[in-house]
Amino acid sequence: MVKDIDGGKAVMVSMEQITLVRRDSDGRKVALLEDISFSAHRGEITVIVGPSGGGKSSLIRLINRLGEPTSGKIILDGEDIFHIDPLTLRHKVAMVLQKPFMFEETVLANLQRPFLFRQQPLPAAESPEVLHALELARLSPELLKRDARTLSLGEQQRVNLARALITGPRVVLLDEPTSALDRPTGDQLAATFHDISRAQQLTLLLVTHDLRLAGKIADFLIYLEGGRICETGTPSELLTEPKSAELVRFLAEPEKWEE
Amino acid sequence: MVNQGIINLNLSSLSLAYGMVLLTIGLARLQRIGQERQMLVASLRMVLQLLAVGYLLHIVFSVNNPLLVMLILLVMMGLAVQVMGARAKHKMPRFYLVVGSSIFIGCGGVTALFCFMVVGYSPWYDPRYLIPLTGMIIGNSMNSASLAAERLAAEIKQRREEIETAICLGATARQAAETAVKSAFRAALIPTINTMAAMGIVSLPGMMTGQILSGTEPAIAVRYQIAIMCAITGSVAFTSYLILLQGYRHYFTAAHQLKDDVERG
Repeated sequence: MVKDIDGGKAVMVSMEQITLVRRDSDGRKVALLEDISFSAHRGEITVIVGPSGGGKSSLIRLINRLGEPTSGKIILDGEDIFHIDPLTLRHKVAMVLQKPFMFEETVLANLQRPFLFRQQPLPAAESPEVLHALELARLSPELLKRDARTLSLGEQQRVNLARALITGPRVVLLDEPTSALDRPTGDQLAATFHDISRAQQLTLLLVTHDLRLAGKIADFLIYLEGGRICETGTPSELLTEPKSAELVRFLAEPEKWEE
Repeated sequence: MVNQGIINLNLSSLSLAYGMVLLTIGLARLQRIGQERQMLVASLRMVLQLLAVGYLLHIVFSVNNPLLVMLILLVMMGLAVQVMGARAKHKMPRFYLVVGSSIFIGCGGVTALFCFMVVGYSPWYDPRYLIPLTGMIIGNSMNSASLAAERLAAEIKQRREEIETAICLGATARQAAETAVKSAFRAALIPTINTMAAMGIVSLPGMMTGQILSGTEPAIAVRYQIAIMCAITGSVAFTSYLILLQGYRHYFTAAHQLKDDVERG
């Protein structure tokens, strides 16, 4: 297995010339993503930022194969993801969706779901897996017996995170994970993402339209608009010296900073 | 079983009966509800359609050919599928393939079991038994099958978040669709359960009434009614289950992805 090394850092996920074409309701072809190439490095947080409807969610959904690109390659740790069984792939690449969906059962049963689906023995409440996942997501073990649907939205999103982490994935995809939360709750959760990526050497790919959040936690930033990557770089490069006209315009819209 | 003493309705008694429709039309006119024309057309359609069916059955009964009987059964199934297609608001992917094969296997299988094993008349294709019994089984299964298909489409659309969450957590398409399938199956069975529970109390079922009118002993007519109701229940469950089992697959790709053409909520 050839592992890509890029400037001394190990590449965990890379996209090569990804395009995604869909038919709209009138049957016309619409390109949602055009010629997308980038790399995300191990143990780093890569943030894809841009206006709504720019293709961010469509892009991140390709990495655990919730969606399928029209053309192009996606490489996970040296392996073409289209050569991996999708169920195995989703074991390695976990995903946290925008709205935390809680199954109508206890928090513990929600955390056991990934094992249930894979027909593996369910870890008990005091098992190292459950306790470790709770610790990573900063959740108290006292919540385990609660009905997951009675938790606050912020707690639900943490259960969502713990549920994604419990099977030990290599990569975690986060689709607008804080957009359903109020600002302080979202900020605390973002801090948790940061700690996890550092402590666990986890590769995080996060999608957001919130520049403030992106600037705060990103190691590497990708600006996506109209289905194209306009600019990439570190947050300080992109946010202080934007080069593309699109990003300059996006930065000039102050409401983007307020979310 | 057929009592020779059954009273034939002659033209004058039929005209008298039709007078009741004319009376209704008169009443509608008097109240100015403006439905007279539709009522007249509907009643004439009823008369013509039933006369045509009676004539057709008369021919089929006298020709008594197994191929002709089979052809009629196939046409009945085809019409059932077409009615369902016209009625469905949200069609599942590959609607006609899924529904057609389910009706064919589900209703056909149960009808065969019922006619040949339970009733056990001969010859096996005797149209006097096979056609009305098949009609009752298909007619009832059609409604439940419509419910199952419609409900599955609605459930999958509504449960998109749940299904995608399950997929992200490593579920197969089957596991992810389980709650949607269960809920659609439940919805399909409820009307039949209600009918069974109310049978004989709220209404006297049509087949039993018909047999009694034509001179059958009530004790025998009741046994037939029980047997056909059991067959209908079996066919409803079997047909709906086949639709759901085949149907959910078409919402997913081979890579356990929810297809994109399921509108996002």
